Amino acid sequence: MENRIGVYICHCGTNIAGKVDVEKVREYASHLKNVVIARTYMFMCSEPGQEMIIKDIKEYGLNRIVVAACTETLHGHTFREAAKKGGLNPYLVQMVSIREFDSWVTENKEEATEKAKSLIRAGVYRVNYHRPVETTTYPVNSNVLIVGAGIAGITAALVLADAGKHVYLVERQGFIGGNMAKFDKTFPTLDCASCILTPKMSAVKNNPNITLYTYSDVEKIDGFVGNFDVTINRRPRYVREDLCIGCLSCIENCVYKEPKFISEFDEGIGKRKPVYVSFPQAIPLVPVIDPETCIQFRTGKCVQTCLKGCPTKAIDFSMKEEKVNVKVGAIIAATGFKVFDASRDSKYGYGKLPNVFTTIQMERMLNSAGPTGGEIRLQDGSVPKEVAIINCVGSRNENFNAYCSRVCCMIGLKHAHMIKDRIGADVTIFYTDIRANGKGYEEFYRKIMLEGVNFVRGEVASIIPSENNRLTIIFEDTLLSRVRKKEVDMVILNVGLEPHDDWEDVRKVLNLTCTKEGWLMEKHPKLAPVTSLSDGRFIAGAAQFPKDIPDTVAQAEAAAAEAMSLVDRGVVESEPNVISIDENKCSGCKMCISVCPFNAITYNEEKNIAEVNIGLCKGCGACNAVCPSGAISQNNYTDDELFAEIMGVLRE
Amino acid sequence: MINSREILESFEGRMREFIDGENFKKCIQCGICGGSCPFGFYTDFTPRKIITATRAEIVNEVIESNAPWLCTSCNLCTSRCPSKIPITDALIPVLRELAMNYSHPPDELGQALTNIHRMGNSFGESNKKRTKWSEGIGFPVKVLKKGEHVEYLFIVDDFGSFDLRGQEITKAIAKLFRILGIDFGILGEKEKSIGDHVRLAGEFGLFEEIAKSNINELKNYSFEKIITMDPHAFNSLKNEYPKFNFSKDVIHYTQLIDERLNDIKKILHPLNYTVTYHDPCYLGRKNGIYDAPRRIIESIPGIKFVEMYRNRENSFCCGGGGGGIWYDSYIKKYVKVRPAEERVLEASKTGANVLLVTCPIDAIMFEDAIKVTGLEGKLKVMDISELLLESIGKGV
Repeated sequence: MENRIGVYICHCGTNIAGKVDVEKVREYASHLKNVVIARTYMFMCSEPGQEMIIKDIKEYGLNRIVVAACTETLHGHTFREAAKKGGLNPYLVQMVSIREFDSWVTENKEEATEKAKSLIRAGVYRVNYHRPVETTTYPVNSNVLIVGAGIAGITAALVLADAGKHVYLVERQGFIGGNMAKFDKTFPTLDCASCILTPKMSAVKNNPNITLYTYSDVEKIDGFVGNFDVTINRRPRYVREDLCIGCLSCIENCVYKEPKFISEFDEGIGKRKPVYVSFPQAIPLVPVIDPETCIQFRTGKCVQTCLKGCPTKAIDFSMKEEKVNVKVGAIIAATGFKVFDASRDSKYGYGKLPNVFTTIQMERMLNSAGPTGGEIRLQDGSVPKEVAIINCVGSRNENFNAYCSRVCCMIGLKHAHMIKDRIGADVTIFYTDIRANGKGYEEFYRKIMLEGVNFVRGEVASIIPSENNRLTIIFEDTLLSRVRKKEVDMVILNVGLEPHDDWEDVRKVLNLTCTKEGWLMEKHPKLAPVTSLSDGRFIAGAAQFPKDIPDTVAQAEAAAAEAMSLVDRGVVESEPNVISIDENKCSGCKMCISVCPFNAITYNEEKNIAEVNIGLCKGCGACNAVCPSGAISQNNYTDDELFAEIMGVLRE
Repeated sequence: MINSREILESFEGRMREFIDGENFKKCIQCGICGGSCPFGFYTDFTPRKIITATRAEIVNEVIESNAPWLCTSCNLCTSRCPSKIPITDALIPVLRELAMNYSHPPDELGQALTNIHRMGNSFGESNKKRTKWSEGIGFPVKVLKKGEHVEYLFIVDDFGSFDLRGQEITKAIAKLFRILGIDFGILGEKEKSIGDHVRLAGEFGLFEEIAKSNINELKNYSFEKIITMDPHAFNSLKNEYPKFNFSKDVIHYTQLIDERLNDIKKILHPLNYTVTYHDPCYLGRKNGIYDAPRRIIESIPGIKFVEMYRNRENSFCCGGGGGGIWYDSYIKKYVKVRPAEERVLEASKTGANVLLVTCPIDAIMFEDAIKVTGLEGKLKVMDISELLLESIGKGV
């Protein structure tokens, strides 16, 4: 059957027609070989534009369509659907980008018109070789894996579990709750963090649809959207969850009578024993034994008073790593953040000056379940009379992190309020700009100002120890254009947020992309903010970018909805651009196997050839490009199609 | 050497005594105040920077600078402040009070305040001359006595009583009242300064004394409402005196004329003027009376009314308020173009040949500015009452 091609050139308002002489291009395209009809239209993606194509398919007996407009990503689907309505196989459509690749990036109108001609010529040449492609559907596993059990992971897990989906919630720490569990109060309402978090934590524990793996890491994810095989590595906590009743007598009976070791959960300002829980309402309420500090592990000669005191003999020094395999249809990454290490910016003296703290340490200090029982104390135990809060530590600074960490201004305001409220100290906030852009935030800022917190616009240049353990702060008051000094007892560094140190490893395991800083990448910053670039994988919370609790929870709920939309649908359409391997041409070199990111190709030793599981193939084309013998062919990317396209671009 | 801590504490203490006074702590340092200020180009500390100075504990520098005195109390900053800081009514007067205690206020200001304290008026004249404006008016103006009753007690205040230009306006207003058959009386030598400028100059003690004494005096007379010609007196009687238990209705004369517009329209005759209208700060921005004067103007046949670009709530000050009229030579030391000069040039640009006002201080300030800017013969300043009289007079 002869090819009958229709070419449709979009004005896209003035986006294309403002640069490209669309009529000239149409006239040119109408004379290309096999082109039966060429038209232009103001907005080809509009209903009348699509109708035009559908009508032409029938009237002119078209069997190939070229749409010269925006991009395949943006409107490829629209025009394939139109072709389908006209009775054509949707893959007999070729999109040609004369907007992104031409009118938007070409200054000269004549050049833009010529470029449009050559791009359309390439599209027309190529479409001649298009073949119909049929796709199938695959069933989707309805379970969901959630990585990270901070407020984002917890929220998403509860939404999905309440909808009847089974959730595997994996947390690398011994206890869930993430950073929020460390906080005392939350801005701007000042409700207590644990009062609103612990009910959700209990709900996680009690929900039969949630399987919680703490002290565990996701080690490997195989499979593809709808059918993931997940390997979880459960590290030994040396207290058996199936036996422990949470009486905590092991902690009481530990040979260390007093907590002696730096508590990670208390951000270095509190101490713990080798056997510990993070805080009294910890979930699961099963202690963790740290082998680095436990005498039994270090010397093998401990009297094991913990075990002796344990009523259920849940302590098991012989516990080993354990692998768990689960099958899920969707994955949500909610891996969170860490705070900026303030010692990296040495001018603040963090780590050297005893009364310089960070905001996260302040959270622990303010928390009534924290190391000071909620008392604000200097290192010598006295109460500070004057306190400085320094904003933007590690943020908005191209020497560290160029971005604004978004939550620090509000944290600073909250701390200022709590310090004034609890000990009546004078508080000064040093800021560059106050960013209070959430619901009720600006009002909170005004309230804190009215409470008499002093605001100085200007970043702190140095903090110098002075007499009586006081600290002299030197800064330029930029609103007064004067360099000033101020003496305080305590400095709180309002540290920014950063991705975890091992973000690169986490990214690889979860097969996600990241920004250069290490924040998880969304598919579209506005229109697909919780969808990742990998099918079936969603993102939520501060792992994507610094955000406060309201935004984190909203995003977690959105990610749960996206995951639910996938697993509830029950099926996924197979990838159209899959490859096939010609047995006769394959030499068994295995190069394709090494480049396949989806483990879709296996080696058949008997036949000495590579074989593809098209259920796993995502159509990335990596194997197609490396295959030295031309044995691999990919739907919609055959050599014929590609060479025809290249010829089209090159031919005058 | 002034103790900066002590000054700051007095400042904060005094601010706390005002309604919303503590709002200065909520300053977001946006600078709308300084940008809006008629003296913003010339002051050492804009209101924003004054607040920065409180945070840096250098209020002593502020009170030793020109900043407390370069304020016309026009209320433009206050009306625009996003944190609702009472700059005009509290911040500046408090600084002035501190400056009077710890620093050197302008000499002329001291003289005016002394006059008010001793003589009952800022002009230092005998209070017996309060009725001078009524001489030769052609009808008897009732000086209210105990036991007598009038509907309206006409409070003239100092500028309408003692200033020659002010007297002309007072006379015109009294004539209008008579034409409209309004039952009014004055207090004559018993009237004393109402004192709004005293308050804004930071002499809170003297203001309180004046207000209480005036309220006591007013108890001797029988009347329904107070009618004023000076927006500053209007403001004080309406908004400040009630703080000392005073509860009489107070109106500005333009409000009464506006109410009686249908009566007055019948006797108006065409005038061939292009006029523009200056909203006095204390009638417009401070008390929201924008439409009554405009309705009066538009009722006069033949008149072409053009607005200045800055009008109503964005009106620009004449520079005479808040005591500014008393220490013009101090202001001249720092200010290159005085607000009144800028304003008459703006009025002239509209093509108007008459600049209408409803405040005696405006008339005084603008007529002086017209001389300085060479607009004499091109632009004439008239009170609305004078324009009305001229229109009525055309038919006589």
